Parts: sequence; C-alpha cells; structure tokens
Amino acid sequence: MTSAPAIEARGITRVFQSRKGFFYQDVTRTEALRGVDLTVETGEIFGLLGPNGAGKTTLVKILTTLLLPTSGTARVLGLDVTKETEALRARIGLVLGGERGLYNRISARENLRYFADLYGVPYAEREKRVNEVLAWVGLTEAADRRTEEYSRGMKQKLHIARGILHRPEVLFLDEPTIGLDPKSARETRKLIRSLIGQGVTIFLTTHYMFEAEELCHRIGVLSRGRLAALDTVAGLRQLVGGDRTIEAEDYGFEDSELAAVKRLPGVSKVVSEEYGPVTRLTIRVRTGDLSVEEVGRSLIGHGGLAVRERRTSLEDVYLDLVEEETN
Amino acid sequence: MATVTTSTPDWSGRRSTLASIRLAVLTFLADPQWLIPSMIAPIVFGFVSYELFLGSPDLVVYVILGAGMMSMWGQTLYGSGWATGQDRNLGTLEPTLSAPTPYLFVVLGRILWNVVSGLIGIALVFVVVVAVSGTVPSIDNPLAFTVLFLFTMFTLAAVGTVFAAAYVYTRYAGFIQNVGEFAFYIGTGCMFPVIILPFWTNPIALFFPPSWALDALRYAAIPGYVGFSWGLGWDVVGGIGTTVAYLLIAGVVFRRVERHVLEVGNLQEY
Repeated sequence: MTSAPAIEARGITRVFQSRKGFFYQDVTRTEALRGVDLTVETGEIFGLLGPNGAGKTTLVKILTTLLLPTSGTARVLGLDVTKETEALRARIGLVLGGERGLYNRISARENLRYFADLYGVPYAEREKRVNEVLAWVGLTEAADRRTEEYSRGMKQKLHIARGILHRPEVLFLDEPTIGLDPKSARETRKLIRSLIGQGVTIFLTTHYMFEAEELCHRIGVLSRGRLAALDTVAGLRQLVGGDRTIEAEDYGFEDSELAAVKRLPGVSKVVSEEYGPVTRLTIRVRTGDLSVEEVGRSLIGHGGLAVRERRTSLEDVYLDLVEEETN
Repeated sequence: MATVTTSTPDWSGRRSTLASIRLAVLTFLADPQWLIPSMIAPIVFGFVSYELFLGSPDLVVYVILGAGMMSMWGQTLYGSGWATGQDRNLGTLEPTLSAPTPYLFVVLGRILWNVVSGLIGIALVFVVVVAVSGTVPSIDNPLAFTVLFLFTMFTLAAVGTVFAAAYVYTRYAGFIQNVGEFAFYIGTGCMFPVIILPFWTNPIALFFPPSWALDALRYAAIPGYVGFSWGLGWDVVGGIGTTVAYLLIAGVVFRRVERHVLEVGNLQEY
C-alpha cells in the first residue's frame, strides 16, 4: 500500500429535500449523511455496512460524482469529487446492484461496447477488452444474447464487467450480491476477491456480514448517516466488548443473577433477550479468563440451563453498533 | 484476466456521439414499436395533409413538406427526449452520466440518428403522395431547397437538444412535451405556413428556429410563395441566429441541468 489514500472524505453531509402538496408547499428535509469522515488506502477492500436508509448508497454516489454533498469535501485518487469529475470518472468504476442499468433490447456485448466508447477504452483494444471481461465474468457463451433474457445473476455479472471494463483504479460496488441466489452470490464474491490481486481499490457496501468479513480489510458501520465505527473486524469485535461471546439460555433469569454475571471477570457486556418462553443472555467477554463452566456456576439453580461459547460475529458487532447509534 | 492497470482514456465527444448513434440504431432495429413514428405516422400525416391541401396549386409540395416536417419534428423532438426518458426507465442514466463523456454528446448522437430516421419518413411521405396524386413535384430552386432542407433538420435538432435537457432534469418531461407537441407542430409551420395563422402567433413562432427555416424552405420550393414579408434571405439569417442561440442555450442548460440533478439526486427516479 502506498501512503496516498485512494479515498478521503471529510465531514460529508447530505440533506435531501422532498416537496409535497398541491403547490409543493410542504418541504421535508432528510439528513442522509451527517458528517462522515473516512479514509480508504490504495489497494484496500473497504466494506461499508449499514441498515436500509443508513446512507450507504448516498455516500457511494457522492464519491462517484453522481451526487453533490451538502457540505464537506471528498477526494478520490486525489481528485475533488465535485470539481474534477471528468478526470475522476475515467479512473473509477461503479457497480450498482439490481435488475436495472442495462440496455435490455441489445446484447451484453453491445452494452459493453457502448460503455467502452463512453469511458474511452482505447479503440484498438475495445474488442479485446470486451471479450476479456466477458470471459472473466463467465458470460462469453451468452455474450450475444439480449440482456432482457438474462437472469438476475447474469445481469449482476454484466454490471461488474461494465464496472471494470475501463480498468478503474477504484471500484465502487453497491450491494453487488443483493437478491442473488447463493451460487450466484458466491461467484460474484469470487470475482470481487480476484480483483484484490490486481491492485484495484474496492469500496463495497453490503448488508451481508459474512460477505464483509470474508472480503474486507476494514469495515465501516454506517447508521443513521453517521459512521458509528471504522476498524478491522478484530478491532470492531474489541470495540463492542470482546472477541468471545458466551450464551446462556433458560426459562427466565432474576435481575440479581444478571448482576452476578456482569461482575464476572472479563465480562464487558450482558444483553438479555427473550425468545418466547426462553431468555437468552449474551455475554461479551473481553479476555480469555472466563470459561463456560464459570458462567454455568454463576447461574446455579437453573436445571435446564444451556451454556455455549462462540466467537463474536460481525453480525453481533453490527447489531450492537447500530443499536447504540439508534439509542 | 490480465492485471488491471490504468490506460490512457481515449474518449472524445465524436466517439461518444458515434457510440450513441450506434446504440440508437441497434435499439431501433431491436424494437418494432419504432415503426409507428418512423414509418406508419408519416404515411398517416401524408394522407391527412393531402386532404387538407386539396385544391392548392402546389398541392404536392405542400403535402410533402407538411407531412414530412411533421414526421421530422416528431422524430427529432419526441425521439431525442424519449431516449433520455428511457434512460431513466432503464436505470442507464446513472451509468451513462458516471462516464467521463458529457451527456450532451450522447444526446447529440441520438438526435442525429432521429434526423436520419425522420428522413426515411419524408421519403415515405414522398412515395405515398406521389402515388396518390400521380404527380412528381417540381421544386422552384432545387439547390436552395436541398441546402435549406438540411438546414431545417439542423434547426429541429437544435430544438431537440434543448428539449432533451428537460428529460434529464425531470421525469415529468414527457408529459410537458406531449402537451406542447401539437402546438409546436402548428406554431412553427410544420403543417402549413405560419403566416396563415392569427397574427399574434407569429412573434411567438419566431422564437423557434424551425419557423424561420421552414418558411425559407417553402420560399425555395414553391413559386410565388408568400410567407414572412422579409423574404428568404432574412428567413435564413433569422434561422441561423435562433439556431445558434438554441445551441448556446443547450450548452448552458445541459451543464446546469447536469449540476442540478447532482444537487437534487433524482437521477434514479423514473
């Protein structure tokens, strides 16, 4: 990795205004982003997680010059996203997920030729490059079929092919596996992973924790327009109270029992949730000092107690952070 | 796949315009609904204007110009704007605008193709009217007619460019255009000379480049034609002036519209 960051955003805010009423007199302001700061290093795969409406796509659109921030500055590859758009657009790629975004009545090959021309892929290389990306995403056989005949997974692959056609230095992937069946999603992740070795900086937004954990060097959690956390997966685990999680389940626990568990050595957080008649205590453990047996001993008197240990998942981290931000 | 490395981008306005023309042709060939505006509508216009001008001494020229220009007008304006509306519907407006090429060049390609397909419509009108009337029209000044015909297409394209910006600006542009379409047909003299309309409409018509160009075209085609009192020469000057103004407006409008849609963030709306 070089010292110059691929993406640098400082204090990005974005307010959307919608108007309603016969004379559009009712104005509603929605703060989609509220002061986002982040830096993504060159060659990194950066993941952005967040619930629906958290502002992920808004941030991607700002960084890819498709939306202006209300305030703040952002530079991608050293170029200002609001002022040096032409130069920047030639050097970045954008993959928006979904069924839309393709000319349905023409073939995948023609779609790619068209965008190759708009992106200035050297004319002499155009056919070679189109064939290359079609082969890379596994669409060579279907290249001359109209894209309206494509499955969702095939369309997604074509979106990715278009995104890398002009060999961008930074590739933005906005929920690239959403709505895909498990096989197509796995193939898409494989394609993304293979870009890592090719020196492309990747900015990925996703809802899927395992996807982010599997692919990303660092992860940011966006909640209600704010970056709630930004770290490696290991760092995020520590942030929410530890790498280990012990779960204890039975038919209800007394408050005094909860307090006793909280006093155990290494316990950073205890959350009690009810699942029908069963109560589950999720105990986040910061150190290796506390064992499952010790937790069991502290809850003595529970005949049907089930205690197990697992690694704190990214989903735990995500839910904790989003919950904290919401509260 | 080879390692992803950067290469010097080779985009240009000309290349993007050619790519846009190619896409328009492919879409045209792939989509039979285009037969209606480009093939069927001109024939209908031909029959309607034949009935309208029956008894006129230069019936055939009036009919061909009237129906042909209606077809051109529809193709250029409706087609150019519609394609951008389609970009909104298909979700291709965002990926197109995220390319380094200014969108104006893409629109230009579509307009040029629509002008060409409008010419096919005129050719059809010519065939239909000659077949129905049994007369081959004689043109008063064929050279001037040819030049002015090309100029008229250019004026239509200039208006089409400004209209296309509206489709980038808002998803409701189609509604606005549908409402205004027939007023433009009549008001700019596509179907019949502006001069026969009530006087108060004339100054309004002069804001549109095709009004000047079409009047000049009729001067060149029809012997003894009485159009605007200032005659063919000033028609050409007025046509050039308004066309230049429209192209300048289009350049400014497109830049502003592109900026505006980035401010409001409505590119994905359809």
